[in-house]
Amino acid sequence: MKLAVISCIHGNLEALDAVLSDIDRQQVEQIYCLGDLVGYGPYPNEVVEKIRSLDIPICQGCWDEDIVEGLNACECSYPSQLSEKRGRLAHEWTNQVIHPEVRDYLAQLPMTLKQQNLSFVHGSPNSQHEYLLPSMDGFAALERVLSAGADVLFCGHTHVPYVRELENAVLTVTVQQPGQADAQQQFTAPLKRIVNAGSVGEPRHGRPNATYVLYDADTTQVALREVPYDYQKTCAAIVDRGLPAIFAWRLAQGMEFAERADDPSHVCQR
Amino acid sequence: MTAPTVIVVAGPSGSGKTTWITQTLKEHAETCFYLYPGLGEMPVDLARIGYCYPWVQVLPESQIPLLQVLPKEVVVFLEIGFHLDLQLPVLSALSYHRVAVLPPGCPQSEWHEWADEIIPGNAIAAPDPANLPQLWCTALTGQVFDPPSLDEVLIEITEGAYGNVHRLKGIFELPDGRAFYIDFVQGLEGIEYRELPIPRWLEGRPDRPSGIEVVGWQLDQTAIAQALLDGYLSAAAIDHYQQQYKTLNLEEEPAIR
Amino acid sequence: MGQWAIVSGIEGNLAAYEAVLEDINQQPHTVSDLYILGDVIGLQGSNQALLQRLQSPHSGEPNLHICIGWWEEQCFSLHGLSGLPDAPELMAQFGGDGVQRLWGSVLREDVQWLRSLHFGFHELDCLLIHGSTVSYADELTPNTPPITLCDRLIRADANTLFCGRSGLAFECQVEPTQLRSTVITLDGSHEPQEQEKTPRRVVGVGSVGRSPGQATYALYNPNTNAVTFKTIDYDASSNLHQLSTHSTPVL
Repeated sequence: MKLAVISCIHGNLEALDAVLSDIDRQQVEQIYCLGDLVGYGPYPNEVVEKIRSLDIPICQGCWDEDIVEGLNACECSYPSQLSEKRGRLAHEWTNQVIHPEVRDYLAQLPMTLKQQNLSFVHGSPNSQHEYLLPSMDGFAALERVLSAGADVLFCGHTHVPYVRELENAVLTVTVQQPGQADAQQQFTAPLKRIVNAGSVGEPRHGRPNATYVLYDADTTQVALREVPYDYQKTCAAIVDRGLPAIFAWRLAQGMEFAERADDPSHVCQR
Repeated sequence: MTAPTVIVVAGPSGSGKTTWITQTLKEHAETCFYLYPGLGEMPVDLARIGYCYPWVQVLPESQIPLLQVLPKEVVVFLEIGFHLDLQLPVLSALSYHRVAVLPPGCPQSEWHEWADEIIPGNAIAAPDPANLPQLWCTALTGQVFDPPSLDEVLIEITEGAYGNVHRLKGIFELPDGRAFYIDFVQGLEGIEYRELPIPRWLEGRPDRPSGIEVVGWQLDQTAIAQALLDGYLSAAAIDHYQQQYKTLNLEEEPAIR
Repeated sequence: MGQWAIVSGIEGNLAAYEAVLEDINQQPHTVSDLYILGDVIGLQGSNQALLQRLQSPHSGEPNLHICIGWWEEQCFSLHGLSGLPDAPELMAQFGGDGVQRLWGSVLREDVQWLRSLHFGFHELDCLLIHGSTVSYADELTPNTPPITLCDRLIRADANTLFCGRSGLAFECQVEPTQLRSTVITLDGSHEPQEQEKTPRRVVGVGSVGRSPGQATYALYNPNTNAVTFKTIDYDASSNLHQLSTHSTPVL
């Protein structure tokens, strides 16, 4: 069975359309979405409309949660005061244009999805706000996959796609307690994987193209897909619709609009 | 009759005029003066020369008439920005040596006709006289920047987010009390950051010159100003960082709270 | 450098706390610092008397460092000072009676004092905290899966994690021996990554007040990195406690 996993669309309808067309050409049987339908981009309602119309299973992203609860992203996501101000502007803009029924829809999204040995989350099994960077400690990464009860953990949130394979894990624990003999335990784990689906609408890999992933459940093959589209249309819409114009330039560069994950060892406590 | 030695230095933006002047300054043991007319009371280069070469007297534009009464032992460097007429009216009463700092291979220009001496400068593209860039500048005295915000704004400005930028220079104050000179020229690698040899300012808003100058085409001046504004630290934040710096310097470590 | 005494779970048991202080005072190697990892209040005695004792340490006692724990969070919840109203965890474990007793046993000004305490301490290469950096309720025990212990140590960014949530005294040495990690990005495969393999440990520091008549705590020597557990029997019924102590060094 072939799956497509998309994430972090962020109101970028043009990019979403391009990705869906690309998926149509791949003989995909099921699409999953890892959230962040809204935020930063010019067409949040339209993006949600499209995802709903296609009955795509979706888990709630950090921005989806923020629009529902009126909160804002964790301060640890913003690398600077400037980016934090821009993030807040984007939140206010999105908050004002979101239709009530769209907000209601985002509110009822589950935190995680599961299909057999596959788990789907926005950030991590702990939180929509935790970044699973490819450089985080391998044992911590392994713990995330195991805590999801899966062999493959699909995640988004970082906006840069990757596949990480964790194998041949061995951990030894020696327990000493007063009045008892020492005990030793060894932990091993079979091959586990983290697959990051990148971002459809706000790529951060240095190019404006949308990214998503394909997964073949029969062969366990993963393919990282990069899809060019007419990003200038989105840039024009960003400016026309009153979002910070700098977002248009940053989209063209494939740079984050405001939030960025910098520290692989930081664990967001939100 | 006494008259100082006056050296007027001209050339396109980014050619290396100030660099040549700073190199030449070091060779002069006598009293030196430096002026940069046409950009208000304290242009960036004037402030920088004043900070880095404390023995050099920097004079604001309003004091150019004083040049005539300076003794002959004095050497005066006067830099003419690309945007000014080479026949500066204020210089008409003086005799001076004309130095043009030009990119190698620069085609014949009014600088060639004007100069007594041509110095090869930075290997940048020669300017098109029919399409000279705009110049935008603002003083930043009293402002302290959030360092990562400043990095972000400088990347945006120099990589074209606010217009085609040919040149950027500035002096920026940071919350640990240091000030940096930043220099970018289109065509030369990277952005140069140089810490200024001045004492840390840890008592509120700095009361010493800082500012920014941007040279380029189709500059979105409002957006640049807004981006800079968004990077300014509030008075409370400045105070917090300065207190933290002073405390850390006393080698105390706070517990997790 | 003096030793650290690390305790948890006093739970209002002043007699137990006094017994521990006296045992600390008798240690041949001076104890310079006393870390209390939460649960100073509870249902094992007079919270008010215990809090007054903590707020007025006697001269000559070790430097006191106190952080909050599960019981403090329940108290904050009852007073509307945390994200979780009405202390559901307290209600679930101790019922309405427990809620009433806790509510009635801590004065408002003492709640404010408890709110001023730290969440934990990073000292040398140790993290000292009630549960873990995940939560005050995170209960680490010798039966916690090894990968979870490993994860908590990575999050702690420390080589030793001292905790008190479980009330158990234990030392779990966690040694990540092997892991092969490879990453593929849009730009292709990267070199297989080496993982941090430093052996680290989680130390449960026992409980002072949970079991009337017996208190356990840990001693840590920063010079030798050694942990020792101490168990004290004391007379829970009076202030003139008789002490019978024995200690178990962990090598």
